[in-house]
Amino acid sequence: MSKGSKHKDKKFGMVIDLDKCTGCGACMVACMSENNVPFKENESNKLDSITWMRVYKLENGKSFPDADICFLPRPCMHCEGDHGHAPCVSVCPAIATDYDHKTGIVSQIYTRCFGCRYCMAACPYHARYFNWWDPVWPEGMEKLLNPNVSPRMRGVVEKCSFCHHRYQLALDKAYADGRDKIEEDEYQTACTQACPANAIIFGDLDNKKHAVYSLKKNPNTFRLLERLGTNPKVYYHSSREWVRRAGDNYLKHETTKA
Amino acid sequence: MKIDRRSFLSLGAGATAGLAFSPLPWKLMDDSSIWTQNWPWVPVPTDGEASYVDTVCSLCPGGCGITIRKIDDRVVKAEKKDSDNANSGICILGLSSPQLLYSPSRIKTPLKKIEGKWVKISVKEAVAEIAEKLKDLRKDKLSHTLACISGSSSGTVPALFERFLKAYGSPNFITVPSVKDVYKLVFSLSLGSPYVPVFDIANSDFVVSFGTGLLDGWGNPAQAFKAHSILKDNKKKLIQIEARLSNTAAKADKWIPIKPGTEGVLALGMANIIIEKRLYLNKNILFDSVTEGFEEFKALVAKDYSVKAVAEITGVKQEDITALVEDFMKAQSPVALFGRGEGTIPGSLHEMMAVNFLNALAGNFNKAGGVHLLSDNSYINWTEPILDDTAYYGINKKRLDGAGDGKYFLAKHLLNRLPEVLNSSETSPINMLFVTDSNPFYTMADTKLVREAFEKIPFIVSFSSYMDETASMADIILPNHFFLERYQDVVATCGLKPAVGLSKPVVNPIFDTIHSGDAVIFIAKALGGTIAESFAWDDYKACLDETLEAKKDIMDKELFWVDESGVFNAFADAESSGKFEFINDKIRQTKPYTFVEAEGEKKQYPLTLIRFDSMRIASGYTANSPFMTKTVADTVIKENDIFVEINPKTAAEYNLTDGSKALLTTPKGKAQVRVHLYEGIMQGIISMPSGLGHSGYDNYLAGKGININELIGQIEDPASGFDAAWGIRAVLVRV
Amino acid sequence: MSETQKVSASDNKKKDAGGTTILFFLIGVAISLALGWIIFPKLLYSKKSQPIDFSHVVHSEAVGDCDSCHFFREDGTFSGAPTLAECIDCHEEAQGDTEDERIFVEEYVAQNKEVPWLIYSEQPDSVFFSHAAHVKKAKMSCESCHGEIGTSDALPIYEENRITGYSRNIWGKNIAGIKKHTWDRMKMNDCGECHEEEIGDKGSCFQCHK
Repeated sequence: MSKGSKHKDKKFGMVIDLDKCTGCGACMVACMSENNVPFKENESNKLDSITWMRVYKLENGKSFPDADICFLPRPCMHCEGDHGHAPCVSVCPAIATDYDHKTGIVSQIYTRCFGCRYCMAACPYHARYFNWWDPVWPEGMEKLLNPNVSPRMRGVVEKCSFCHHRYQLALDKAYADGRDKIEEDEYQTACTQACPANAIIFGDLDNKKHAVYSLKKNPNTFRLLERLGTNPKVYYHSSREWVRRAGDNYLKHETTKA
Repeated sequence: MKIDRRSFLSLGAGATAGLAFSPLPWKLMDDSSIWTQNWPWVPVPTDGEASYVDTVCSLCPGGCGITIRKIDDRVVKAEKKDSDNANSGICILGLSSPQLLYSPSRIKTPLKKIEGKWVKISVKEAVAEIAEKLKDLRKDKLSHTLACISGSSSGTVPALFERFLKAYGSPNFITVPSVKDVYKLVFSLSLGSPYVPVFDIANSDFVVSFGTGLLDGWGNPAQAFKAHSILKDNKKKLIQIEARLSNTAAKADKWIPIKPGTEGVLALGMANIIIEKRLYLNKNILFDSVTEGFEEFKALVAKDYSVKAVAEITGVKQEDITALVEDFMKAQSPVALFGRGEGTIPGSLHEMMAVNFLNALAGNFNKAGGVHLLSDNSYINWTEPILDDTAYYGINKKRLDGAGDGKYFLAKHLLNRLPEVLNSSETSPINMLFVTDSNPFYTMADTKLVREAFEKIPFIVSFSSYMDETASMADIILPNHFFLERYQDVVATCGLKPAVGLSKPVVNPIFDTIHSGDAVIFIAKALGGTIAESFAWDDYKACLDETLEAKKDIMDKELFWVDESGVFNAFADAESSGKFEFINDKIRQTKPYTFVEAEGEKKQYPLTLIRFDSMRIASGYTANSPFMTKTVADTVIKENDIFVEINPKTAAEYNLTDGSKALLTTPKGKAQVRVHLYEGIMQGIISMPSGLGHSGYDNYLAGKGININELIGQIEDPASGFDAAWGIRAVLVRV
Repeated sequence: MSETQKVSASDNKKKDAGGTTILFFLIGVAISLALGWIIFPKLLYSKKSQPIDFSHVVHSEAVGDCDSCHFFREDGTFSGAPTLAECIDCHEEAQGDTEDERIFVEEYVAQNKEVPWLIYSEQPDSVFFSHAAHVKKAKMSCESCHGEIGTSDALPIYEENRITGYSRNIWGKNIAGIKKHTWDRMKMNDCGECHEEEIGDKGSCFQCHK
């Protein structure tokens, strides 16, 4: 933790409006394209299908015609836990993942990871994925690789980074222009930028000028498995009570905070 | 000194001790760990200068302004263009365009089929061979036996193909129809001009959609999503009427399940209530002065579409219908959407007319939040092609598809009639077929019949960029550049105004491909005579520059040129009576109102199979990228098995459990499927996604699932002749 | 007698054997040290010459500072080694009469082929290094990491680690990893060391990794 740093620490996070999310999957493709996520011929086994951003389909469990569905995009929650003790960070024996107090981003360093997968077991959100195979890009498609993200090898874990490299690029631009700070729109994740419904809002949760600051305070806003104490930095918004209830394991008599 | 075993042990010990004091082990450890962290077979992306190039996406008719991220001269990513105007937006398909550009299923050079095998040929050889064959047909006065199937009807490239056919002497230029064709008919019948409607959803306060896949790929998906989000921000209502809880229905404030195929009946029932309760008078329109045939229409709906009868036919409760009507007419700016799913199947003309009557009764034409009417822009002002005697003889032959004639008097092109025409004659009435920008052997209903019919055609030329189902059946392929490699005009709408966008090459063509516009011009030149004279341009680029004139400068800067004059301003603009006509002679000629039913005997096929469209599965000429297929849920595709959705109650009747395998049989075909229990579907209805079951393309797509077109047949709409099939009767048997 | 003789003989033998053991031990140590300090580095690195020689002195006299050729792009990223596009500005035709320039113009400029320069400071793909943060924000000089290459008249031999494939400059010329200057080594600890001194902490993983 950098107590001596001159600048106020940031806490990047998201507010995802589930009323607007249409489940189209654009965020998933934007993420895979941005982050050199590999693809196989058969991706129907979702346990080994790497999707840093995955859109889940929730069902309300009622019968026709009262059935309802809702789509829920799930990036890495970048849990703060208690003072940066994210579930995955605490269990990593290799310090291959850490919590950055300056940005609130949980890293994953592929070259450091040796594939024990403790972090996967510890993550309650299934946000981490294991590379069971070496990635293969068919001839010609390696041209698509983004130089700002290093491709992973077999035997390591990977996950959403909140497009940290975009933060670095934004800083580079700022430094080159003689600035120290970046504006809200200079650092946005690939999924946020791609969402055709503008359902994903990204920014510094602690910065009053950023949209997420006030959005996260809406009474219809909730976080996933909030009561586990993981302190995630991804907030969801839904006007539907059953969706908010689906965010945690509520008993029948319990009510959500809203 | 005696050297014994001990000495060697000592040497070894010394060596070991010495090593510990040398850098060797530590350095080796460090180096080998670095080696294991950087396997040489894991690619390292080459770094370079990043740049962004704006272009217009032409993968669907939406025509979004997008931006392409490049590193040096390679494309890395497609992104939303950072702009509020210029029709900017991106969807899952547009985001996939880089993968489609570098796809392994791209056709890399012109090909010729010799004894069933593909042989590489040069563009020159291909053009010469096609021209030779075309010359022979002309010699035999058979120019009219050349046909062309074009995926699009707008823009300069389809116009070049159409011009070529005319100059050559064939009337058989056929475009792949879509809901847009029926939209035009709706307005040409009611307002006398083939307006294209643009629904101002963002500014409406009550949107009622009759099965329109607003969030499932309809129209311009990116703009539809944006509009829907604005609806949500403004807390305005969306009502979805359809048999299945689609993504649109799930986002709607209310989902009204309805028996599929009866949407038109519901709309007429609603119209009846509006008229009965005189609710249309609340809208402050001088109704009598802006409409025609109202009394006759009033009598017709009063007679056949009482709320009781409608409730029985549609399965929607009477009180739901009346409540819907009240909310609709109470709203400030209500709008009714029509056109099923994403709109690839044209659909029933009467159904859409029926829904549009609600817009007329609400008086929302050209009002904020209503239906805006645009005329198809006519920026292509070429001189007529020069016709020689052969051409003149040819173009005066009857169209093979019968469009524009007799009972098909309304339609301009009827691709769906072609298989029947081909199959009903001994020898093929088509001697040569051009297929551009389309994949009819995959996208047309009743694939088996289509295949049988087209196999009769002696010579097929494909202009496809991909080894798709149609290209693999062709005799010569002149592969088009991918849109990121070529110039092309794209007809779109910017906001509520008609516009033309310009696709620009972002990279040089990576393969030995040829712009289809160039291909047509070169073939024309090779034919010589009046045909060559009709194509005086040096190449496509010259043709495009000449066509766009000064607009091109605007498009270079802004991507789009907006046609301010293409907006329909008032009813007085209409060519005929200047009024909205509920009934007139032309409408009477279509024998209103007939709605299409599903094919098949109820006894033999107790279930009804409907198709559903998904943003994650491209079902048209453009097929899925590997990334898109990766997003498809494991309740839609598992390994290579496709799932059909079924209500758990229906499933129980057929002894089916979640995931169980079953044989799906329809009057058109059989397929092995698996079932997915879904509470969001009516009992007795089963549904299946469109866009899967490809046999062409690459291993990331081919062989996954079933092409629903193999199971569904086309049903000619009695009013228009277009395909209006929304489903087919079916039976599921557990295996 | 024969017993004592035997004993002393074996004693001698023992002493002798002790000396041999120590000798062999020392020989072993010597071999290892020689192997580790002298032979190993020679075996570990293969020597490669740059495709053509290049004088930084001549160029900096002609065009000025480092950033004339190694510049920041508009987006704040660093261009690294110049590409042909930049060289062509001056070298469309030969400026002098050196053999290397002749080869450059004939084999690269004329054929529009990039020079496959060997980059002494190339880091693994997993490393993110921001030149902007160091040069623009922290106002560090190029020398602090790159040393005296900018004032050299000829390009040094490029030594490639046979195991890792990276340049010897990363580990440093000294096989023991001992450094005299800040630019002698470019390993993670060297980054960490400086960051700790200047900023107060080594930073988080993502600060330098991607």
